[in-house]
Amino acid sequence: MSNATAIQAISDLEFSAEASLHGEVLGVKLVGNADLNVKVQLDRFMAAVHDQGVALKVREVAVDLRRLEFMNSSCLKSFVWWISTVQDIVEPPYRIMFLSSPSMYWQRRSLNALACLATDLVSVQV
Amino acid sequence: MARSGLNFELSLDPNPRMVSIVRRFVEETFEKLVGDPDAIFRISMAAHELLENGAKYAVGRRAVLRVVLEERETGASAQIAITNETTKDHVERLRTRVAEIAAAEDPFALYQTLMKRTSKIRDESGLGLARIRAEGEMALGLEVVGNTVTIVASAQVPGRPSTP
Repeated sequence: MSNATAIQAISDLEFSAEASLHGEVLGVKLVGNADLNVKVQLDRFMAAVHDQGVALKVREVAVDLRRLEFMNSSCLKSFVWWISTVQDIVEPPYRIMFLSSPSMYWQRRSLNALACLATDLVSVQV
Repeated sequence: MARSGLNFELSLDPNPRMVSIVRRFVEETFEKLVGDPDAIFRISMAAHELLENGAKYAVGRRAVLRVVLEERETGASAQIAITNETTKDHVERLRTRVAEIAAAEDPFALYQTLMKRTSKIRDESGLGLARIRAEGEMALGLEVVGNTVTIVASAQVPGRPSTP
């Protein structure tokens, strides 16, 4: 495992995000509460995740949301932008996998909505 | 026959830092009154999105969040509303968006369409109200008096768990 050092981690009052490389998989972990206060940082973070995912030629980006209490629509939009950006590439460079927790009720409905945007690209693991 | 299980208003500074604090308060309150964790998510998510709408678009220093739960024999009816002053332009945007959502035969399909339509716009979500309708399965209404708007989200929810 190595840190994907070009991706600057976020450490805010109630939210953190970090990325690390595990062979051909770029792991992303989001923890806490993603709301309007971290929207700009999350946009920047997800853009860096995409850039590094392409540069490192990873097979998959795995996003661990199991300790993410809530995500607002503005932050969901960061994921919408990301999925749409990967989808726009003729041969998408990597797949996206969301790792979810059944105890986080927001994830059931919100991740389903995200997965439906690109069923061949995005999967959700419980 | 309906009996009011809950009815309160919070007068708030429409500050983004307050939104999650109030969402958690609504969530914890409904945990005591509603038996279904999924329904509690739907209500607290609606409260969050409406409060953020106030935080982003309110003109002036106050927004009022109203929370109502009416209990009936067959279940309960929840209503979350936010009232704030806003600009004339935003009133028109709200009218258009709420009408579009209310007219949608398939709220989830509209939510997906809006996600795709706005995917490259970074400054504005444009998804909050559609999320309340699609993910929250709540009806949306809009009341306008001058430049004061009230957005109302309402839904039937399971009632309070019975006590042994």
